[in-house]
Amino acid sequence: MMFRYLSLATVALSIASVLPAMAQQVAGTPAAETSHLDVDQLFATTCGWCHSDGGRVAGKGPQLMNTKRSDDFIRNRIKHGKEGAMPAFGSTFNDADIDKIIHYIRSLKPDQP
Amino acid sequence: MKQKQRKAALSLAVAMGAALTASGAMAQTIDTKRIEANNPNDWLTYHGSYNSYHYSGLTQINTKNVKNLSVAWIHIPGHSTRGLQSMPLVADGILYYTGSYSRVFAIDGATGGVMWSYFPELDDALVSRQTHSPYNRGAALGEGKVFVGTVDGRLIALDMKTGKPAWDTKLIDSQKLTVGFTGAPLYVNGEVVIGSQGGEWPVQGKIYAVDAATGKKKWEFNTTGDDSAKSTWGNDTWRIGGGGGWMPGGYDAKTNTIWWGTSNPDPLYDWAGANWKTDGARPGDNRYTTSVLGLDAETGKLKFYHQELPHDTWDFDSAPGEFVMLQRGGQDYVVHPNKSGFIFVYDDSAHVKNVWPIVHNYNFVKNIDPKTGELIGRRDFTAGKQGEVLCPHISGGVSWNSGSYNPKTGLYYKLGQEWCMKLEVVKTTPVTEPQVQLNIGANFQIAPPPGGTIYGHLDARDPITGNKKWEVKFPEPPMASVMSTAGDLVFVPDSRGIVHAFDATSGKELWTHNDGLGHQGGIISYAAGGKQYVAVTSGFGGMVSDDFAPAFGGVYKSMPRDDGALVVYSLSK
Ligand code: HEC
Repeated sequence: MMFRYLSLATVALSIASVLPAMAQQVAGTPAAETSHLDVDQLFATTCGWCHSDGGRVAGKGPQLMNTKRSDDFIRNRIKHGKEGAMPAFGSTFNDADIDKIIHYIRSLKPDQP
Repeated sequence: MKQKQRKAALSLAVAMGAALTASGAMAQTIDTKRIEANNPNDWLTYHGSYNSYHYSGLTQINTKNVKNLSVAWIHIPGHSTRGLQSMPLVADGILYYTGSYSRVFAIDGATGGVMWSYFPELDDALVSRQTHSPYNRGAALGEGKVFVGTVDGRLIALDMKTGKPAWDTKLIDSQKLTVGFTGAPLYVNGEVVIGSQGGEWPVQGKIYAVDAATGKKKWEFNTTGDDSAKSTWGNDTWRIGGGGGWMPGGYDAKTNTIWWGTSNPDPLYDWAGANWKTDGARPGDNRYTTSVLGLDAETGKLKFYHQELPHDTWDFDSAPGEFVMLQRGGQDYVVHPNKSGFIFVYDDSAHVKNVWPIVHNYNFVKNIDPKTGELIGRRDFTAGKQGEVLCPHISGGVSWNSGSYNPKTGLYYKLGQEWCMKLEVVKTTPVTEPQVQLNIGANFQIAPPPGGTIYGHLDARDPITGNKKWEVKFPEPPMASVMSTAGDLVFVPDSRGIVHAFDATSGKELWTHNDGLGHQGGIISYAAGGKQYVAVTSGFGGMVSDDFAPAFGGVYKSMPRDDGALVVYSLSK
C-alpha cells in the first residue's frame, strides 16, 4: 500500500482531506498511553452493526446504554470479544482508548424524538 | 479413487429413471465436462450445476409420496459457531460438506458413516478479531479433490479419497486485511475460483483463480482497482474501496466465461447526498463494486460487466445472487438477484433485458428501468438521522440463500424479505492500522415496513417477466436456500427450524418436518444405492440471524447460535 492510514482519526475530517493528511502519519500499535480515538465515530464505524442505534438499543449485541456491567467487565469484553458473537479489539485499542469507550457508553442518553 | 468410485457406480447402477444412463460417468474424475453433464444422482457444485438451478432431476420423491419422507440419518459436525451455513455436495454417493472453521467431512450418503474429516488449523487470534467468522458456506469438487476456503485467507485442496491436504495456498494477507474466505469456490477447467470478503472493510476485494493441480495462483481480478475503473473513485479511494465477491458465481461453457457478483463499496453508507459524483466518502460510480462481471475463465480478463447499482450507498451488493442461465425462444438469459430485492435479467453478455422487484417494500430507489437497468429516483443520504426508514433492511430484499429454477415448470422459486431500518448516516474515517476495521458509516436499527410487519415470502415466478404464479408467506424471512425437483416439489427450510415441501405447480404445502434448529444453509438431493435422499443443513446464527431474537422473540430467544446438524431424509415406505 502506498498510503498508510492512522488507526482512528482524531477529528471527523472530510474524506477528501483525510486521505492526503493520513498519508503523512505513521501507524502505531495500541501500546501508547494516549488515545487518538474519535469515540463519536466509533459505533458508526465498527460497533454499530451489532450495537444498534449507537448502543442505545439491543440488536445483535446487547443494549449498552444504562449497562449494569462494571468497567472491568466492559474492558475485558472489548479486549477479548466473545467467540462467534463479538470480535476482540485488544490489538486495536489501547487502555486509554477503552477508557474513552467506557465513558461514551456510560454517557449514552435516549434519542431525542 | 477409482476403486471406491467404481463400487459406488455399481451400487448406483440400479438408480432410477434418467439417472441410469449416466452411471457410466461415475467412475470418471470430476471435470468441467462431468459437471456440465449434470447427472441428477450427484450435486457437484454449490449452485447444483454451472447454470445455478438448485434443481434436482430425481423423481423418486414426488408429490404423491413426499408425506412418507422421514429422517434417514443425521450428522453432527460439532463446534458450529454461528450455525451451519453450507451447501453439501455429492459425488458417486459420497456427501461432502463443510462446517464452521472450514471443517470438511466426507460421509457415506446412504448410511451417514463418516469416511474422513479434515479440521484445518486456523489463526485463532485472527478468527477472534473477525466479525464474519468462523462460518463457511461450502466446498467445490474437481480432479479428485475437495476445495475449501478459510477465514484466514487460504484455499485448501484435499484428496477426495483420504481427506489429506494436497496443497494449501495463502491468497490474502488476512492478518492485516481482516477479511478472508467464507464462500464456496467454483471449479472450472482445471482451476478453482474463489472470491474474498470485502464490502464492509477498507480493502481491495479480489477474485482469485488457482491451478487445481498445483495450488499456484493463476490470476486475480481486483474488484476496486482494475485500471479501467480507477477514474470512478474520487481521491484514489479505490485503494480501500471494499468490494470482493463473497459468494460463488456461475459458468457459461459456450463462451468460457465465469459470471461473478461483486460486493458493495465501503463505507456502506455515504453522506454525499445528490453530489455523490464529486463529494463524499468515495466520489463516483465505484466500479466494479455491486456489479456482475463476465471474466474470461482462462485469463481472468474482464469481458463484460453490468454495475447493478452505480455508487451503491445502501449495501445492496451483487455478490449473493445466483446466476440462473436458461434459454427461451432461442435467446440465452442470465437471471441474477441483487441484494436490493430487484431481479436483473440479462442476455449472455450482461445486457439488461428486464428488471423486476421480488419485494414489495423498497424505497432506496423509486424504480429501476426495466429496459436499461438505470436507477430512477435514487435516495442518496446526507449525514444525520434519516426521517424515513430505509427499505429493505441491511440484510437485503434477498440474501445469500439461493432460489431455484425448475425447467419442468418453467418457474423460478425465490424468497423475498420485507423489512426496513431506521438509519443515521455518520461520517467515518477508514481504519487500516494496525489492522483493517469495519467501515459502516451509519448507526441503524431494524424496523417494520411502513404500516406493516416484517415477513418473508416464497414466490413462484416466471424468471424473465417476473409474473407471479403463487406465493407463500412466512412470519419471519426464511434464510436458507430453496430447492425444486423433477418430482414437482419445492423445499423451503425455514428460520424456525421447519422444512416445508410444496407442490411446485400449485404452492400447496404437502409435508413439513421440524429439524429443531433454524436453517440458513443449503438443501440438496442426490441418489445413493438407488435411493433418493434430501440433505439439509440446520444451524442458526450470524450477521443476519442474530437479529431474529431481538426482532421476533419467540423460538429465537432460546435458539442456539453455536450448534448445527446435517439432516438427511429419505422415503420410509
Ligand atoms: C459482530 C457483532 C459485534 C460487534 C461488531 C461489536 N459487538 Fe459488542 N457485543 C456483541 C455481542 C453479541 C455481545 C454479547 C456477548 C455475550 O455476552 O454473549 C456484545 C457485548 C458487548 C459489551 C458487553 C455488554 C454486556 O452487557 O454484556 C460491550 C461493552 C460491547 N459489546 C462493546 C462493543 C464495542 C465498543 C464495539 C466496537 C468497538 C463492539 N462491541 C462491537 C456483538 C458485537
